[in-house]
Amino acid sequence: MTTLGRAARFALRLPGMALLGLLWLYQHLVSPLTPPTCRYYPSCSQYAVIAIRRHGALRGTWLAGRRLLRCHPWTPGGVDDVPPARSPRRLDVAHSAH
Amino acid sequence: MGWFDGLLQPIMVAVAWIMVQFHSLLTSIGMDPDGGTAWTLSIVGLVIVIRILLIPLFFKQIKASRGMQLLQPEMQKIQKKYKGKTDPASREAMSRETMELYRKHGTNPFASCLPILLQSPIFFALFRVLNSLKPLSEGTYPRGDHIGPMTADLAASAESATIFGAPLSGTFMQANGDIHIQIVTIALIVAMSATTFFTQRQLTRKNMPPAALEGPMAQQQKVLLYVLPLIFAFSGVNFPIGVLIYWTTTNLWSMGQQFYTIRRMPAPGSEAERLMLERRARRGKAVPVVEAPSTVVDEKPRGQRQQPKRKDRQKPAGTQRPVGAGTGTGAASAKGATGSGASATADAPIQDAPVQDAPVEDGSLSDGPTKPSSSAKAKKPAQGGKKPRPKN
Repeated sequence: MTTLGRAARFALRLPGMALLGLLWLYQHLVSPLTPPTCRYYPSCSQYAVIAIRRHGALRGTWLAGRRLLRCHPWTPGGVDDVPPARSPRRLDVAHSAH
Repeated sequence: MGWFDGLLQPIMVAVAWIMVQFHSLLTSIGMDPDGGTAWTLSIVGLVIVIRILLIPLFFKQIKASRGMQLLQPEMQKIQKKYKGKTDPASREAMSRETMELYRKHGTNPFASCLPILLQSPIFFALFRVLNSLKPLSEGTYPRGDHIGPMTADLAASAESATIFGAPLSGTFMQANGDIHIQIVTIALIVAMSATTFFTQRQLTRKNMPPAALEGPMAQQQKVLLYVLPLIFAFSGVNFPIGVLIYWTTTNLWSMGQQFYTIRRMPAPGSEAERLMLERRARRGKAVPVVEAPSTVVDEKPRGQRQQPKRKDRQKPAGTQRPVGAGTGTGAASAKGATGSGASATADAPIQDAPVQDAPVEDGSLSDGPTKPSSSAKAKKPAQGGKKPRPKN
């Protein structure tokens, strides 16, 4: 049962890991070829990495996609962090001031 | 590939349309409709159309980098604060503050990600259009008998068109020993690598302040610069010649655009800026006041802090103040000791005529209303002196 559970958990994490692998390739092979582009901090690709780690493949991709749509030439840019994880909702509110 | 083509269909139609328009334009001025030149130039035309559409963004970016000069003093404040700190946390905090500064001033030197992302479907669409030429001409294309205006006849014409003996849809991997395809592919891959290499090297060598050239990121970039031809070689052998032509032309355009940018709007503190200032000095043009490079902010190791002095008690030594005031709005020179500001400026790479000229106009400006503004001046150093310690 536990091995089955572990296998299931691994299977669930697989898409996220695949996406993170693609992001790694982008950040290490493609991105260095282009001048720094993103108007936000963290950059769009880093945002995607954090979002997928924090929220999983599905919601992480959704968040990263929305961020990419935000990163257009008419935005002033600035600091734009990935929203905190959903489950421990009460805890996250406390440390916003750092 | 079916679903992928379905997604790309509208863009493939647009790409095919632009290519066919260019093709009919080129044949109308007397080019051989079935020749490789007309079809090659159609792809070049596609690049030109796309890049012209992107020119407004390019100019917007140039305007933004002009706005950057205005926030140079605040920028230097941030750089000074994190001077010599290389741990990831400080680096991150520094990027955060810099980005926040851009947002506050509504100017951002970066191009933004979306336009680049929007270009990649065009690239894929061209890839798919070129790969579909053969099935189109044979009537085996699964999604109908045409892609927009690219009919079976035109597809057959493009399919059989050759450049130096190599068809546009030929790839190295499927060359089947066709020496023309192999030679043209290799030549284009070399051209692609060379243009990218040169563009990148020009950017790092000339348009980056020395501080940005240190650290693991810069090192990685340098390594990549030499690995790049390999990556191109491995991916390029799978691409049809038409895509390679598109890629090379885009690279050439980017190179020209970057050359223009670096020449006209160099990054502060970079080699390119020094060259620009030299050119201007030679032409006898006045140098803008806020040209102080970002690297000048380093300070002599502080022993005892110099106490701020009230204006009227300051020694009339003269030479110190104007130089410090030369940096412009005074945010940089407001740091307690004017002496350190002066010595920092002396370290600057641009110690030639233009910098020494600039303070003179400024000096007369700031010296004039000495008495009335003395209270404001006396306050500033006190604030500046306190700042560096509590924050960070």
